[in-house]
Amino acid sequence: MKNTDRQSIHLDKKDVNSTFYRWWWSAEISNSFERMQGLAFGASFGKVLKKLYGNDKNMLTEALHRQLTFFNTEPMWGSIILGSTLAMEEKKAQGEKLPAETITSFKTGLMGPMASIGDTINAGTIQTIVYTIAISLANEGSVVGAFLIVLYSIFVLFLGRFLMNLGYREGQKSIVDLLESGKINQVIQTASILGMFMMGALSATMIRVTTPVSFNIAGADFVLQDTFDMIIPGILPLITVLLIYYGLKYKKISITKMMLILTVVCLLGSLIGIL
Amino acid sequence: MDIKLLLAIITGLWYWFAGSIAGYTLFPTLKSPLFIGFILGLLTGDPVKGIQAGAAIEIVYLGIVAPGGNMPSDRALAGLIAIPLVLTTDTSVEIATTIAVPVGILGVFLNNIRRYINTIFSQKADQYANEGNINGIWNMATIWPLAVGLILRFPVVFVANYYGIDLIDSVLEFIPEWIMHGLTVMGGMLPTLGFATTMLMIGKAQYFPLFFIGYFLVKYFSLSTMGAAIFGLSIAFLIMYMGGFSSNSENISDKKKATNKIELTNEDYIKQMMQ
Repeated sequence: MKNTDRQSIHLDKKDVNSTFYRWWWSAEISNSFERMQGLAFGASFGKVLKKLYGNDKNMLTEALHRQLTFFNTEPMWGSIILGSTLAMEEKKAQGEKLPAETITSFKTGLMGPMASIGDTINAGTIQTIVYTIAISLANEGSVVGAFLIVLYSIFVLFLGRFLMNLGYREGQKSIVDLLESGKINQVIQTASILGMFMMGALSATMIRVTTPVSFNIAGADFVLQDTFDMIIPGILPLITVLLIYYGLKYKKISITKMMLILTVVCLLGSLIGIL
Repeated sequence: MDIKLLLAIITGLWYWFAGSIAGYTLFPTLKSPLFIGFILGLLTGDPVKGIQAGAAIEIVYLGIVAPGGNMPSDRALAGLIAIPLVLTTDTSVEIATTIAVPVGILGVFLNNIRRYINTIFSQKADQYANEGNINGIWNMATIWPLAVGLILRFPVVFVANYYGIDLIDSVLEFIPEWIMHGLTVMGGMLPTLGFATTMLMIGKAQYFPLFFIGYFLVKYFSLSTMGAAIFGLSIAFLIMYMGGFSSNSENISDKKKATNKIELTNEDYIKQMMQ
């Protein structure tokens, strides 16, 4: 396709909103241990990417793969990431020199913070308040609480739609500025640093690996896990992440194979009593 | 159709849809035991009794946030099995609540199995991406996982509500302890895969210390994810403003300087050897 043709491709408000509703419907349906919401992200972008890259199959395939990678966030606050990514794909399709890594780094760098914000504000705060009110109303014999919960669901839907549009509008603007000022490298590196940091923080909260091994030496109980906790807390989850990272990166073990290995290790470990 | 069969079918379908989290913002409503109690109460003719039973179960799960979508317990399953007991039998709300809690944990297993199976669909979506088949990807993200969810979730609730809770108990007893335990262990270990793949994607080995900082900040000081995000963002900005990053051109000159230095030292070394 010629550059002049490409520059005429534009997304309109309808494209942005329909991408949002596809994301809204599918975000969690296909959640998997391998990609989490990655498949939903790619699937929601399908129609728009087809519009942007439609005549160039290689570009389309590349873009689809780019959006099918691992992604995990709080979907409604994370909509702002989808909006900005949409703006970036539009720029890229129009022929701007936007490296694919920029888009990927942008997504991975922001998904953790948006998840924290979303989980804290929505699930942690507003939702809990709504439920608490509904419970106290129910205890007084009123069914109004059920409707309050429905209202909360509707509120979050519109919040997500708003953030998606905000991300698309502002993302596009700020990305052009970034490209012109040459600051994009800084953004990538900042996002990568934040991403790496958040992977550590999330690993610490979400991965649970402990051992029940204990001996009885001369009447004194020796609990292996206590010893581990004394030396370095969370050493087992840490070793697990590093081993899996090592296996994926240097031994080139595929994710599916890695999952089978984990299954066997967990079941065997449980059978002989070391996990 | 007798009410028992009707309730069994409705709760089975409900669990399938709510558990699939189709339409992301619907789940705070559809997974709420309080809302479930209200609707099932309407069906059996006593919405107040229903919502009060639901509220009792809701309290147990109040304030539980699911970081990264990892629910520690499935309140929808708990509600869908315990509330019909209250509405159709003489079971008290208190007893129903104690039944609900272990049932909720069973729901976590089901969710893990679902996310395990869903990995197949992401692989298939990758193939469709190669062909540029966006509808294929969309089906992999919606229809197929929904179909798997129906097979996985409907029977559990249907059987439990039609044949009674005794059957669920004996099924759980029939599964050997070491398999149940192994599955729990696996649930704790599998998120590792997602983190390791993201770290691979960030791809910068020099940022690895940040992973450890994030990990041990949480392990030693029990920071929340939000707290960790604040620290991570501050560190990222600090490094950026202190000039730790340089634009591409500066990088190149840095490298030149470095190579010059090495050459210099080599020359010095040779000079020393000559003397």
